[in-house]
Amino acid sequence: MSDTIVNPSPLTLRDLNTENPRWCAGCGDYGIIAGVKRLMVDEQMAPHNTVNVSGIGCSGRAPFYINAYGVHAIHGRANTVALGLALMRPDLNIFIHSGDGDALSIGGNHLIHAFNKNFNCVFLMYDNEMYALTKNQTSPTTRKDHPTNTQPTGTYLRPFRAVSLALGCGASFIATTADWMPDHMLSTIRAAYHHRGFSFVHISQRCPHFDPENFDHKSSAWFSFLQHPQGIEPDKRLKDKTQTVLHDPSNAEEAFKFSEDGRRYFGLYYRNEQKPCYDDLLRRQITNAKPGDHNAILDRFEI
Amino acid sequence: MSATAAKQLKEVSVTRFELLMDAGFGAQKAGDILVQAFAHTGRFVYIEPMIPAEISPPSRSRPALSGVIIRVADFDVTNIGNSTDLILASHEIVLDRRLDDQEETPNCCILLDMCDYENNKESYDQVIARAKKTGHKIHKFNVVPEAATAIKSLAGKGKNIYYLGMLAAIYGMPEETMIKEITATFGKKLGEEILQKNISLFHHGHQYVDDHFDLAYKINPRPLDPAKKKILIDGNTSMSMGIIDAGFKLISGYPITPASSIMHTLAKVFPSYGGLVHQAEDEISAIGTAIGSYYGGVPALTCSSGPGISLKQEFIGYASVAEIPIVIIDVQRSGPSTGMPTKTEQSDLLAAAFGSHGDNTKILISVANVIDCFYAPQMARYLTEKLHVPVFIMSDFLTANSYKVIDKLQVNQLGDVNDIKDFVLERFHIQRLPDHIEMVRLKQSAPGTPGEMRRVTGLNTDEQGKVNYFAGTNHRAHAVRNEKIHHVRRALLKPEMFGPEEGEILVVGWGSTRGVIEEAVAKLRKEGKPVSGMHLRIVYPLPLMLKDIFKKFKKVYTVEVVYGDQYKPPPLAMLLRSETLVDVHALISKASGRPIPPRLICQKVEEVLHV
Repeated sequence: MSDTIVNPSPLTLRDLNTENPRWCAGCGDYGIIAGVKRLMVDEQMAPHNTVNVSGIGCSGRAPFYINAYGVHAIHGRANTVALGLALMRPDLNIFIHSGDGDALSIGGNHLIHAFNKNFNCVFLMYDNEMYALTKNQTSPTTRKDHPTNTQPTGTYLRPFRAVSLALGCGASFIATTADWMPDHMLSTIRAAYHHRGFSFVHISQRCPHFDPENFDHKSSAWFSFLQHPQGIEPDKRLKDKTQTVLHDPSNAEEAFKFSEDGRRYFGLYYRNEQKPCYDDLLRRQITNAKPGDHNAILDRFEI
Repeated sequence: MSATAAKQLKEVSVTRFELLMDAGFGAQKAGDILVQAFAHTGRFVYIEPMIPAEISPPSRSRPALSGVIIRVADFDVTNIGNSTDLILASHEIVLDRRLDDQEETPNCCILLDMCDYENNKESYDQVIARAKKTGHKIHKFNVVPEAATAIKSLAGKGKNIYYLGMLAAIYGMPEETMIKEITATFGKKLGEEILQKNISLFHHGHQYVDDHFDLAYKINPRPLDPAKKKILIDGNTSMSMGIIDAGFKLISGYPITPASSIMHTLAKVFPSYGGLVHQAEDEISAIGTAIGSYYGGVPALTCSSGPGISLKQEFIGYASVAEIPIVIIDVQRSGPSTGMPTKTEQSDLLAAAFGSHGDNTKILISVANVIDCFYAPQMARYLTEKLHVPVFIMSDFLTANSYKVIDKLQVNQLGDVNDIKDFVLERFHIQRLPDHIEMVRLKQSAPGTPGEMRRVTGLNTDEQGKVNYFAGTNHRAHAVRNEKIHHVRRALLKPEMFGPEEGEILVVGWGSTRGVIEEAVAKLRKEGKPVSGMHLRIVYPLPLMLKDIFKKFKKVYTVEVVYGDQYKPPPLAMLLRSETLVDVHALISKASGRPIPPRLICQKVEEVLHV
């Protein structure tokens, strides 16, 4: 997916700045776009060959804060737009930015098919476990009993487990990280970027405005890192403060167990490099077809 | 009735007949072969297939009716006409079902296969009595025993070819021409033995009519220009080929009748021309992917029908605001919801023109025939790329599925949209747009262009593409978007008219009603009636001089295949009223799912002329 930069001077973080984001102070989204920008600089990605695609929500604004091409599309449908780019412009680097409501609720149908289609892009799921831009409603990942504006006596249902969904749909790359561990996030996005296929990155993201108690980023006892030579290195700063668990990312069954056991793990759950990509398969239709004579398109209807 | 000598030869300028069978037994295939023979011998044809909404309903049931209506003439026919002069039905149930539609000429001649009579005497007798009561002549027949044996050996197939033999004899098609067509159609697929069986079935059917049927038609041929190649093509296939010719590289759709066949046709051939067919997980996704492609600078479109258009509406409004080109083909069918998926209607006009959220801008191109279908994708690509506004191509079940023999069309291979040929613009009655069109945002480049990083959004932005919610910039954005549509309004030429530009009555239509309006107006004018017709190719926006034209008539009426009544003007009437403030009424607003017969227009015009 890399491309040579027309401008001979190397890309810097400053080149990627646009306006100041309109996110709240302390919002986890800052950390996520910082990770994407850092990756772009590390990889010297040409911004004009990079497209950030998003849906609606706080995360939806991300494309505006990275100086590359961008499509801030409609609610839940970023995947569909990104697929059009992946199919017809395989030369581009594509990042999708989608929140928990955007990805799992209104965009759920597109997400499950994106897992299966495995088209080439990095999908960043900003999971703050609530609807924020619409002001504090229950989302598919809101923890049970947590009160919101639509379920003030406490959220009724057990939260959706995005990783289990991805595993069940046969996703080819599933990793989790958090907005407050920049080192781990960068490693994760980098691994996702270098995976060919639909790379699903689940990011636990803080919402200091509506749900400041969620995600105690000062303590680390409540989560573990998944570690493996083929996996993603635990966060340098935090690895000694919590436990790490050995997990082979080729083992989907074990990945399911971690996803379902109720504890939070950060790391590479699953990777399958053999899964075919729909965009490659579809484009192969062209390379395999006998070229047609354009002037003869109506010949077969002659009588 | 025997003896060839007693045959009555009817010499006609135009006639219409039908072959009615159970679904899955090749009625349409037989029709295809026959119309090719008509065309090869210098006759003009218009064909409307009758397709069940279900796949293969049980044989001998009313929903199983599948067939073909063929109108053949010594002049270029533009529509399926008024009524049927002859019906060949494979059994009494399909006949009974079709009689419900009341499309027969009085004294219609009905050939009824008595194959199932023994076990269904009562049912046959009832239907025969019904037909006779209406004044139709019934000719009962049985497939001759040798042919019946052959059909049995083909597991019931081949009966269509026997019927084809009968029809060829009735309509005076030379046997050698017919054999050539049958061989061309089946030769490669069926193998020699089965082909010979079919040819033999054809001869048996032909012989039967020669010996036992006393009616034959003569339609005089026009001399053929051997230099002009002819093609037989239906609307959706023509649209598919037009999509290739217009330079599109992606069609992204979701299965829906009657639009799906565009995807089916392209799935077989598009990759050979560098194009892709993407079947999305739903209608919304389908248009999203096409928009993604066009944002990437690669021409793409989506195709659907009413229910799918409803689902796509948010994205259509988004494309308008984000200034991403997109083309949407709407093959309308009878609705709402699933309605009657294999019947025609023109009911999506307002949903397409004014659907979606907020103030959003769109252009609607309509197609009247297979030639329009071929060139509409070029017209749509030109408009959407010049203006960055969503463009609809409005077709319907009738146009999509009817087929015609036409002179082979000129292929254009459109690259840069500015190279669109003048004759394509003329066909849609529009002039070239100005070179410079103002956009809401200055940056309109596709990814890959250094230094032009364009970020699109449904949020309001200023010229630089920066998000802002100031009153002034929001209003400006609306004005700029609407000005794009005004450019089209100003570029639109006077629509196609039949008859003089003044008189008592003006009959206006759009899309598939063109042929019937043309034919009805020609007939009325021949009778000295002060009636003119108008057909709109681009149906939204409307040309600015429309009001001036309307003012030169005492009354303006629309003809629409959609529901309307005294309190509810149908969509076109509503649109024309609001745009011109002329008291436009519907002459015909029928939601029958069937094409409007020219005779009905004549009849209604007579009524209003005498008011």
